[in-house]
Amino acid sequence: MADATKDMPIKEVQVEALVVMKIIKHAQQAFPTIATGSLVGLEDGGKLEVTNTFSFPTIDVPATDGHQQETAANLAAGAPRAKANVVYQNEMIKFLREVNVDANNVGWYTSANMGNFVNLNTIENQFFYQKEMNERTVALVHDVSRSSQGSLSLRAFRLSPQFMAAYKESKFTTERYLDCSNPCSLQKSGLRYHDILVELPLTIHNSHLLTSLLHQLPSEVPKQKLGFPPNLAALLQDQNTPQPPLFPNYDSLDLSIDPFLEKSCDLLLDSIENHHTELNNYQYYQRSLAREQAKITAWQTKRKAENAARAASKQPPLPEDEWQRLFKLPQEPSRLETLINSRQVEQYARQMDGFTASVSTKMFAVKSNLLPGES
Amino acid sequence: MANKDSFLHLARPLGPAPIGASASTAPLSVSVHPQAIFSILDHSLRRPQDQDRVIGTLLGTRSEDGTEIEIRNCYAVPHTETAEQVEVDMDYQKQMLALHLRANPREVLVGWYATSSDLNTFSALIQNFYGQQGDGTWPHPAVHLTVSTEPGKEIESRTYISAPIGVTAERAADSCLFIPVPHELKYGEAERSGLELISSAKDREDRSQPIITDLESLERAVRQTLDMLERVTKYVNDVLDEEDEPSSALGQFLLNTLSLAPKVDAADIERDFNAHIQDVLAVSYLANTIRTQIDLSNRLATAALSLGPADPLADGNERREGGDRQKGGDRRNKGRQQKAQEA
Repeated sequence: MADATKDMPIKEVQVEALVVMKIIKHAQQAFPTIATGSLVGLEDGGKLEVTNTFSFPTIDVPATDGHQQETAANLAAGAPRAKANVVYQNEMIKFLREVNVDANNVGWYTSANMGNFVNLNTIENQFFYQKEMNERTVALVHDVSRSSQGSLSLRAFRLSPQFMAAYKESKFTTERYLDCSNPCSLQKSGLRYHDILVELPLTIHNSHLLTSLLHQLPSEVPKQKLGFPPNLAALLQDQNTPQPPLFPNYDSLDLSIDPFLEKSCDLLLDSIENHHTELNNYQYYQRSLAREQAKITAWQTKRKAENAARAASKQPPLPEDEWQRLFKLPQEPSRLETLINSRQVEQYARQMDGFTASVSTKMFAVKSNLLPGES
Repeated sequence: MANKDSFLHLARPLGPAPIGASASTAPLSVSVHPQAIFSILDHSLRRPQDQDRVIGTLLGTRSEDGTEIEIRNCYAVPHTETAEQVEVDMDYQKQMLALHLRANPREVLVGWYATSSDLNTFSALIQNFYGQQGDGTWPHPAVHLTVSTEPGKEIESRTYISAPIGVTAERAADSCLFIPVPHELKYGEAERSGLELISSAKDREDRSQPIITDLESLERAVRQTLDMLERVTKYVNDVLDEEDEPSSALGQFLLNTLSLAPKVDAADIERDFNAHIQDVLAVSYLANTIRTQIDLSNRLATAALSLGPADPLADGNERREGGDRQKGGDRRNKGRQQKAQEA
């Protein structure tokens, strides 16, 4: 029975409202630096329940010039796999156990800005968690900028098993040497950028007490029947005037388009440029490989001709595999960067798609409202 | 849920004022962030079976003069309570505080919470522990937040500070005067989006809610707005039909709201609309094209190779082509974006 539940893959993630609020608070405080923290919870069959969370300690790096700031940002992004934080995490979990919190590490969270979370840091962190700590862990990504645009953006990711296997051996080359019998790892595993991160469906869960609290937010329902206010001032000041409800959020009716669109375009262009650089690198590699191969072939034909001549004069043939010593094939660049970048581009493109969908809807609505009868 | 009791503090409500400090007469006000309350409720659900209430430490920030306190965070502290005695794990409290301060160096200890509205002798004892010199909040008063967590009833929260009271030195340790102070629940813009999603689950039977997309939340907001408009229309119609009581204040309010509708030239709208919709659609189209390109490039990288040992040069050509096309898309996109910025 226990084995059966163990082998079941995680199919969904359920996040407690408390965790959502804590992540939001931490991410917002740290913005624009990346905020990271640890998740604790339980696992129930194919469902991972995240019930509590705590943030990792901030790292103080005396940031004076731009370069050092960069290291600080890198440190913050790499925090989940830093040794000091593993110690911190274990200590915190030990304390949380004493107050009946589910003392079981189930992953980590990070904050992101406009969906820019698909990078090496995220991959390495999640790899670290899935390999070193506990196989059944997730990464929660909270997008601060997108959440401020309207609806909350919180997503759960895991690395796919194929990617885990490939990353473990760090085989991200296509490895095509002349007559090389090595398995061509990328083609053999058929790994594509879709397969790096697996997104899991995420639900938010409230406790009973919380539900009862939410019914009192943001303003309580008046207990007696209300009369009409005598004048405008009284209406505005009346305590019983309901505040706009928390849900639905009328901010999503906002009509600002350009800032978001511009930012997304910039980010998309950046990634495409990266992609281009990677492609150029690869092309360079292929050209030099082709050059070497041409040299080798030339050498081989020459040696064959020589051997034929020697055979004709009854001399022992010269070895034909000496080329392996004579020529050195260029090292193939890792394709990991390209893969991750492709995934990032796809992520941006989808994000843009979703945004334009809602924005064009709103624009048509506004137009037909201001110019009635035309559409 | 922030209580609406009114407070009248004849004297400054601060408790043990340090001697020599200039006493400010401003009242003390406390704002509570929702995650602190959420955390308290969670703790209350995880209390040991035989315990009625659980306690914990409140962390937050205090304004310079000590009159405004923000409760931002909290953590649970194990304690046991019997009819005769109370025991708080001080060691735990100290170590946990150190751990929390490492993660949030800007937050300080501001007080403690309990998950029942009762104030008793033990409350006074714990209050004095949190307000003491050294590890406590001295010279500022410790804030005590009570959150009632009785099932089936409304959740009530109250905040207190304390003043020393007691006839003799021994009695002073376990007694104090709790002075109620006003507090409010405060949430910022970023927390709104979270609260929004959380509270969208409040009317559901299973108390859970999947993440909704932007488009869905837009739809819901529009639906809700239409609903409200309908209610107002119905009221106005009823008043016109003399079925409902008219109110001049409401009428004035509605008129003010209606006059907010912008008056713009139809041609302007038409022009702005066309300029923007073109940008948006172009960007959407390009984003999709780019996605296809990336996919294609990725397929070329793996698929061409799986055909076996093909001529490397041929493969190179193919991939160069992909790169060029990519670049074309890139250029187009750049042009478009400049245009978007001009607009």
